[in-house]
Amino acid sequence: MKSAMPPRWAYRLLEWFCAPHLLEEVEGDLQERFERNLLRYGMQSARRQYEREVLSFLRPFALKRQPSEYPQPIFFSPAMLRNYLKIAFRNLARNKAYSAINIIGLSIGLAAAMLIMLYTKDEVSYDRFHRNNPSIYRITSKHLTAAGVLENLQPYTGIFPGPKFHAGVPEITSFVRYQENRKDLKQGTEVKSQTVHFADTSFFSVFTFPLLSGNPKTALKNPQSVVISEEVAEKTFGSTNVLGKTMLFKEKDKFEPYTITGVAKKSPQNSSIKFEVLMPFLVKDEDMAKNQNWFSVFMNTFVILKPNANVKAVEAKMNRVYLADAQESIKEMAEKFNETGRTVYALQPFTDMHLSKDLPASNGLVDESNPTFSYILSGIALFILLIACINFINLTVARSLKRAKEIGVRKVVGGARAQLIIQFLGESFILCFAAFLLGIILIELALPTFNQLANKALALSYLFDTELVAGYFILFIITSLLSGFYPALVLSGYNPVQTLYSRFNLSGKNYLQKSLVVLQFTLASFLIIASLTIYLQFNYLTSKNLGYDDKNLIIIDKSNLKRSEAKLLKEELAKNRDIIDVAPKNGGFWGTVAKINGETQLSFAYETVDETYLPLFKIPVLKGRNFSPDFPSDSSQSVLVNETFVKKAGWKKPIGQLVNFFWSEKPEKYHVIGVVKDHHFEALNREIKPQLFTMKASNPYGKVFIKIKPNTETASLQYIEKTAKKLFPLNPYSYKFLDQENIKRYESEAKWKQMMLFGAILTIFISCIGLFGLATLSAERRTKEIGIRKVLGASVTGIVQLLSTDFLKLVSISFIFAFPAAWYAMQEWLKNYPYRINISIGVFLLTAFISISIAFLTVGWQSLRAAMTNPVKSLKID
Amino acid sequence: MRRSYLGEFEEVVLLTVAVLGEGAYGVAITDELDRQTGRSVSISAVHAALHRLEEKGMLSSRMGDATAERGGRRKRLFTVTVLGSRTLHDIRATRDQLWGSIAPNALPAISI
Repeated sequence: MKSAMPPRWAYRLLEWFCAPHLLEEVEGDLQERFERNLLRYGMQSARRQYEREVLSFLRPFALKRQPSEYPQPIFFSPAMLRNYLKIAFRNLARNKAYSAINIIGLSIGLAAAMLIMLYTKDEVSYDRFHRNNPSIYRITSKHLTAAGVLENLQPYTGIFPGPKFHAGVPEITSFVRYQENRKDLKQGTEVKSQTVHFADTSFFSVFTFPLLSGNPKTALKNPQSVVISEEVAEKTFGSTNVLGKTMLFKEKDKFEPYTITGVAKKSPQNSSIKFEVLMPFLVKDEDMAKNQNWFSVFMNTFVILKPNANVKAVEAKMNRVYLADAQESIKEMAEKFNETGRTVYALQPFTDMHLSKDLPASNGLVDESNPTFSYILSGIALFILLIACINFINLTVARSLKRAKEIGVRKVVGGARAQLIIQFLGESFILCFAAFLLGIILIELALPTFNQLANKALALSYLFDTELVAGYFILFIITSLLSGFYPALVLSGYNPVQTLYSRFNLSGKNYLQKSLVVLQFTLASFLIIASLTIYLQFNYLTSKNLGYDDKNLIIIDKSNLKRSEAKLLKEELAKNRDIIDVAPKNGGFWGTVAKINGETQLSFAYETVDETYLPLFKIPVLKGRNFSPDFPSDSSQSVLVNETFVKKAGWKKPIGQLVNFFWSEKPEKYHVIGVVKDHHFEALNREIKPQLFTMKASNPYGKVFIKIKPNTETASLQYIEKTAKKLFPLNPYSYKFLDQENIKRYESEAKWKQMMLFGAILTIFISCIGLFGLATLSAERRTKEIGIRKVLGASVTGIVQLLSTDFLKLVSISFIFAFPAAWYAMQEWLKNYPYRINISIGVFLLTAFISISIAFLTVGWQSLRAAMTNPVKSLKID
Repeated sequence: MRRSYLGEFEEVVLLTVAVLGEGAYGVAITDELDRQTGRSVSISAVHAALHRLEEKGMLSSRMGDATAERGGRRKRLFTVTVLGSRTLHDIRATRDQLWGSIAPNALPAISI
């Protein structure tokens, strides 16, 4: 009769705490008593009593551990630890391929994960170094139509909201307006264009940017003062001790001296505000008087709230101030523009700005970032790490057959299962640690490339941040456990009797190993599809016909170029035979609005050109005619529009239609004289917008396009520079090539392409080394079988087929999961582009081909080696 | 002679070991204590006392044979040592002497 058992937990507890030399008798007594109680009082009572008895044994004599007559190895006895370590190192050294696969895989995975943690940490730490956080907010506004539909959400403000809200809302203790501009800076005889930021005097009290020298309170008080950054000071003066020195900036038509009142320390790299030159923000009284300024938005305004202010209440007060102050101009707008919507002001926490999608850090603020980027990068890093862990699990379990004997012996001489688990986990920790160290070296090697791709300036020294170190430590522990726990559990469970008689085999079909291989290849195929699709889309974007010719076109920036100056420049440049033609232009999508058909309003890109512009770009005029010097009235009465404009305006016969501008100075009317073919004047991730071309004489030009003969770049550029400097000695000179500029629009896609490609290569690489390991082991295990098959007449091809089919099947199964997922994900991504490719079946076929061929090469090589061995050798073993 | 002091519980346990003779081990001692004194004590208390007595040298022990009713575990059998025996005798002598010295009717009468 099998006797009833006392409660397991109590039994275990006793076993754990009781001194080993006392255990037997105590257990015996308790058991004896338990069985008597069982007969007398029944199961429940007996069990309860047993538990009580066990607990009452928690007393010093039972806990005291004396040298016992039955020595029992405990987990952390130094002798055993030394033994574990020795065995671990011997094992790693003996199986070099296995160790290398695991260490390389894990180190790549860990490096990827650590890199992304570094990246993410940097992303979320943006702008958090300001002492006034979290009280700093940015003023944002949204425009709702009369029906209450959101029409426009923007983080920008005009000059009004800052001072008016500060005055009218008591919770706002301070404000600062921040604006970016360019100014011409004279250094010796050189003139260069310098990015300049304007800010209110309160700048240094709102934000924490320490000054190396100068008084932060008064640095921006004087209108002719300037604060420069450490770097600019070093570059310009060769020293940071420059307080009181002057810099010459262009004001109107002459250079004025600005006194340096402060030198700012290098701004942290995780700052959205990075200034080189900071000047006081000056508002003339007449500007402040214009109520219109509520509606002209062009810069960022930040406010500080009192520490426990209610943001909702402050927003409500802000809107009350706005409505009271702007009443008049709202009415005026309504009359003039039929404008019936309303504007609502709100606050955005400063620290939310960096990763905000709707209200990005732009307009003088830098490094705006898309959080999706973090998610996707983290996803890829996790993929890689997961695949590396899978390799570890698969290989360790598969290889464990070779260690079955060791496990058997350990068990027979009294090794407990827990001890074995700890031994194997320890081995995985040792491996992970090696991988971890190698990973850090990999990060150091990969950082420059990664920084370039992710647009960051991260350094290895950031790794020693306490939070990150804690993060890495956790990552290390998790990786070790993730990869080591399952194998440890399986290995420690082997039956010693079977292993010692060499009759042991992994039971079952090993579904876990198979599904893990499928998972690996699913991830790898997914990334291959993603990188192929991104590559194709990038290719499409950069090679699509833009509707104009951008070859051999040099752009020079010349702001505020007057008509007469343009004429002069054209004449001078025409003297060179390499220069085909010159066309000035100024324009873009500035929210210019005009009335069409008497009432409808249309907003469009407003381009000021001359008659050479369209021919130079080879943009055809579909209907009507181009501007022409033969019609003197063109500059005052005529405009050209593009096809989209005609479509939006709903014109059947566009020629002769009226476009009605209601400028605040005085309204103007123009007739359409021609329709220009649609062309992509913006990047291809935007749809073609309506465009209007004018020759209006009073509009200055901003850029000059110069078409040169092919292969004459050097000579032409020299001539152009000489001419520009001769004609405009006080202007900075710089040039660009239009086709290069156009490619720059797709920098982000180019980076994505690179990142995905790296991710795909790494995942496929790690998956394949894992597969390689598995194939090696499976070939080894089947050495004898292969020998017999060969002796019986099997061909090499037959054997290779036999060995590789299993793996190739798994790779094929992975497509079932990878294809739909990738198709869906890429379809979603492509939705961002109005002009996009269709994902063709070819992408999937190519992916299948790539995956299968790489897998076949990996497995096939091993199989071939196994198939080629002389059966005499393999059969002689044993 | 250095006198060894015994606690009251220890003394009772030691006596019980003496009573049981050959078969003195944990559970048996507990049961005997229960029967003789009506005291229900936990096994752990008895084990603790036995352990201390052995440390003091009043008891010696050896492992007995395994029995099925204890799940194959052996008993630890205790015997009283010479020291144990002398201590018990000493205690008894002291007590007897004390009893002998009590004047008649000095103790309040109790009805039996």
